Amino acid sequence: MPIHFAGAGSHAPGMKAWTEAADVTQKDNLFNGYARLRAELAASGADILVVLTSEHWVNFFLDHISAFCIGRGTSFQGPVEPWLRVPQVKIQGDEAFADSLITALYDNDFEPSFSQEMALDHGTMVPLHFIDPEARLPIVPIMFNTLAAPQPSAKRALEFGRILGEVARRSGRRVGFIATGGLSHDPGERGHGRIDQDFDRRFLERMADADLTGLASYTSADFAAAGAGAFELLAWVALAGALGERRPDIVAYEAVPPWATGVGLVSYAKSLGITPPAAA
Amino acid sequence: MSLYALQKLLRDVNRNPQAREAYFTAPEAFAENYELSQAERQALLTLDITTLYRFGVHGLILRPFTLLHKMPENEYLERIRRES
Repeated sequence: MPIHFAGAGSHAPGMKAWTEAADVTQKDNLFNGYARLRAELAASGADILVVLTSEHWVNFFLDHISAFCIGRGTSFQGPVEPWLRVPQVKIQGDEAFADSLITALYDNDFEPSFSQEMALDHGTMVPLHFIDPEARLPIVPIMFNTLAAPQPSAKRALEFGRILGEVARRSGRRVGFIATGGLSHDPGERGHGRIDQDFDRRFLERMADADLTGLASYTSADFAAAGAGAFELLAWVALAGALGERRPDIVAYEAVPPWATGVGLVSYAKSLGITPPAAA
Repeated sequence: MSLYALQKLLRDVNRNPQAREAYFTAPEAFAENYELSQAERQALLTLDITTLYRFGVHGLILRPFTLLHKMPENEYLERIRRES
């Protein structure tokens, strides 16, 4: 069955926790963008959401780091941050579908770790709150190591995503994908507040062009130069791998100083033939 | 240097309510549970954020730790950007 939905968006905690600090025009542009993704997801008929995401020292620490970790729990809870102004929700998992992903990855020269129990922080809960606030869809969260060097390469993230896309299309399920993180930001580090708009626009153009070669060519040094948080874009690169030649629309981009992040959103809805009622 | 133990302590304080209470109740005794160097223990107990950052504590561990101490963002950034 074809992939039913795909999109990507940033997860800056300020979007929810200190929304009003941002310029209202920027905020509206981004919130309207997420509302579009929400409508597209609802219209897509997707029955499961694979969340390509990252976390911030919540589940994982230096006692054990893996490049990619598949969440095969029967449910997940979040957010862990009481200050995020996102309501606590319990989200259903899908162990059987998660296992099918793990098996397919092992058959294709990837050996991700897997976890029966993962807490979700703002990195996952901000985008899910925007696109599926009632936690209607079960999820399989896939955590990328974006924090502890060495992180996986963009080339491997692309290939990892390509395999996920193949499994999704073969699965008989109506699979949606959401990738989250980035764009340029350097949270808690010396470059906190610095936003590299040139980097961000170039990255979004490569997404929009389905320039898989260009996306796979990003090095760890490229991401580090755009701030420690730019490694989260590995999830976007994986999404591009899953969608192959399909081209997403750039839904919105704003460099938002109070959120200390270049915030971007893309949607593959048009290329997947999704037409939400409001836009019909 | 025992950066791992130092980051483990700080993350435990950030993430674990019991550890947090123990740290804020008796920081010196709490620090005894971790194999820190003398310099690390000193930086921790004097809240020397400049030095903790210079030792290599990850920003997403150090910043949440300073939030527990109610340190404003501009003060945190000024301290980690200081050379020594």
